[in-house]
Amino acid sequence: MANHAVSLRRSRLRRYGTSYLMLVPFLGLFAGFLIWPLLNSLYLSFTSFDGIKPPTFTGLENFRRLLVEDERFRHALGNTSVYVAASVTLGTLLSLGLALAFNGSSWPHRVMRTIFFLPSVTSSIALMLMWKWIFFPSDVGLANTVLDWFGQKAVAWLATPGLTVPILVLMSVWGGMGYGMVLYVAGLGAIPEEYYEAARIDGASTWQQFRRITLPLLRPVTTYVVVTGLIGAFQVFEAVYIVFRGTNQIGGVLDSGLMIVPYLYDQGFTHFKLGYASAVAWVLFLIIFVISLVNLRLGRATKEL
Amino acid sequence: MRRLTAIGCIALLAATLTSCATSGQQQTEQADANAPASLSFWSTGGDDETAIFQKAADLYKRSHPNVTIKVQTLTWDDAYAKLLAAATSRTGPDIVSGGMTWMIQFGARGAMVDLRSHGLDALKAQAQPAQWDSAISPDGSVYGVPLDMSTFALYYRTDLLEKAGLGGPPKTWEELTDAIAKLRKAGVAKPYSQDWGNLDWIGYFNYLYQAGGGFYTDDCKPSLNTPQAEQALQYWVDLYRKHGAPTATVEGAEALDTGTALVVAGSWIAKGIDTGKPNLKGKWAMATLPAGPAGPTTFIGGRAIGVTAFSKYAKQGADFIKFLYGDEAIRAMVEEGKKRNLPYIPPRPDKIAESTFTPEQSAVFAQSIGSGKAAPGCPGWDESAPDVSKQLQAAILGKADVKTALAESAKIMERNAG
Repeated sequence: MANHAVSLRRSRLRRYGTSYLMLVPFLGLFAGFLIWPLLNSLYLSFTSFDGIKPPTFTGLENFRRLLVEDERFRHALGNTSVYVAASVTLGTLLSLGLALAFNGSSWPHRVMRTIFFLPSVTSSIALMLMWKWIFFPSDVGLANTVLDWFGQKAVAWLATPGLTVPILVLMSVWGGMGYGMVLYVAGLGAIPEEYYEAARIDGASTWQQFRRITLPLLRPVTTYVVVTGLIGAFQVFEAVYIVFRGTNQIGGVLDSGLMIVPYLYDQGFTHFKLGYASAVAWVLFLIIFVISLVNLRLGRATKEL
Repeated sequence: MRRLTAIGCIALLAATLTSCATSGQQQTEQADANAPASLSFWSTGGDDETAIFQKAADLYKRSHPNVTIKVQTLTWDDAYAKLLAAATSRTGPDIVSGGMTWMIQFGARGAMVDLRSHGLDALKAQAQPAQWDSAISPDGSVYGVPLDMSTFALYYRTDLLEKAGLGGPPKTWEELTDAIAKLRKAGVAKPYSQDWGNLDWIGYFNYLYQAGGGFYTDDCKPSLNTPQAEQALQYWVDLYRKHGAPTATVEGAEALDTGTALVVAGSWIAKGIDTGKPNLKGKWAMATLPAGPAGPTTFIGGRAIGVTAFSKYAKQGADFIKFLYGDEAIRAMVEEGKKRNLPYIPPRPDKIAESTFTPEQSAVFAQSIGSGKAAPGCPGWDESAPDVSKQLQAAILGKADVKTALAESAKIMERNAG
């Protein structure tokens, strides 16, 4: 019996040995640069660690402080929630709108798709610097120059707390809708033309065709666009860091642009609280995990309706 | 068997995690002081600044042939995080420079050498007293010493002041608000703006000390609940709310170029105005900040320099820092700085006249620095500063009254003081 098991293992090793060997470089990198830091950060989230002295185990203290006492975290969570809701909703709707408008194969449609997709393949740092220039407070800022043409007074775009989240949403939607559009165009292309023909024969209006055929058949694409959009939006960092960061504050004036990841960075890398920052990271992971799960379940549930 | 292997793996992982999450601190063994040494100096700033420190390092090598120092640039944006990464792994630079209070922060956690052990506390006699106090730890440890200085100045457009019938720049708070009103009356749409420290505690610092107040008492007790602090904040808030100072920050030279008559900005902008904004040539000048009821106290900033605790060459690093305070090194750095049109004020007040600025500009800075104060080095200030700035912003933006903003700031400072 034992001999049989050994020979089975040997033959399996002979058969798949080369494959396993070829997987080693990837597995090594995956374990070293993803799994290991992940587990390390999980451990650190239960410690007090300043990055220099050895960590001391503090149990759930970081999580207690974060969820019960930390007003700044709650502020960051509130800002992030508004930002996520607005940017994902608007981004998804505009992606779908663009896809419906430019899903043909004619060259003007292809040119338009390329133009809208360009921000997705451009360096996000360059894009953020461009936005910063647009909202530059002086007369050389594009937004204020345009206002000046119409005789309007200059606006302190980046120093007005009420404008911070709307500007972040604008930047996100503008930069991300081209990517969603490409996914929707692919989704639209996969819907068989026969469905529309049958609907037209049955007298369905354009709206009815859209409502009853296009939207339901695009559900997998919508789920993908929404879930990836949610994950990306929850992790917003560059926009806040580059456009709104002040001398002493990462979240801009009155923390109006403070989001979870910039807060995490601030705690970990400017306040030497790496244990606390790890706890923020794991809370963010749980939030994204639960929301994505709900979204996927909702997508599945509505499919079964 | 499989379950056993899995349990074994998890146990091994947990053990590795707990033991290796960080390597912990070890004492770094020092290299033979007479053997050839190659040191790495991470300089926070730009490449031109790196070049002037490299010049000093090359000069040092002439008298110390065994010691080679290579200076590398860290940008202000990511320097702090990179230094933290280096301190965590205990590898990287031997010498580092950065913000005035950085060395205190890193030193308190065991990442910097207390330079008193190498006799560098003697440099106190040569440094600007307030800046020195700001660079050393509250317990007296010297983890870093001032590397250079920066301060504020009032930059003004001579043509616009003339247009408003003003004979010269305002010298007091009253004259400042008066000048703003006159400029506005003369049709100057942008009479005043603040660049460095706009909506930030550094901006409030000048008014606070000029009113006779301070963030802390001499024995580090938070002291923002005072009539002086209130008077200063009220004046600063009024500059925004009554006199139209913009809340959005425009870089000093840019502000002057786009028609702002009076601009409060850092010393470093003086160097680039004529070259960066040629239209302004002959149309601008500078003066010290207008004085408050208690005097003209102005903020002194700058960078600090120290030796890392994980360097094998602490002795050589400390000796190089001492060398940087010498006449020969300062002269070499100033010469190189002038070639590169770089703003550089040496950390020695007696050498301000030899800075890379024009004699007139240097005279203004010498006057500001002479009566200047630096950032509070009290425990908890670094943690408090961003939240104090937020309270000040709330007052400026009309979300809180002056008294409440100061009371909240004092509470924050007390909480963080421990």
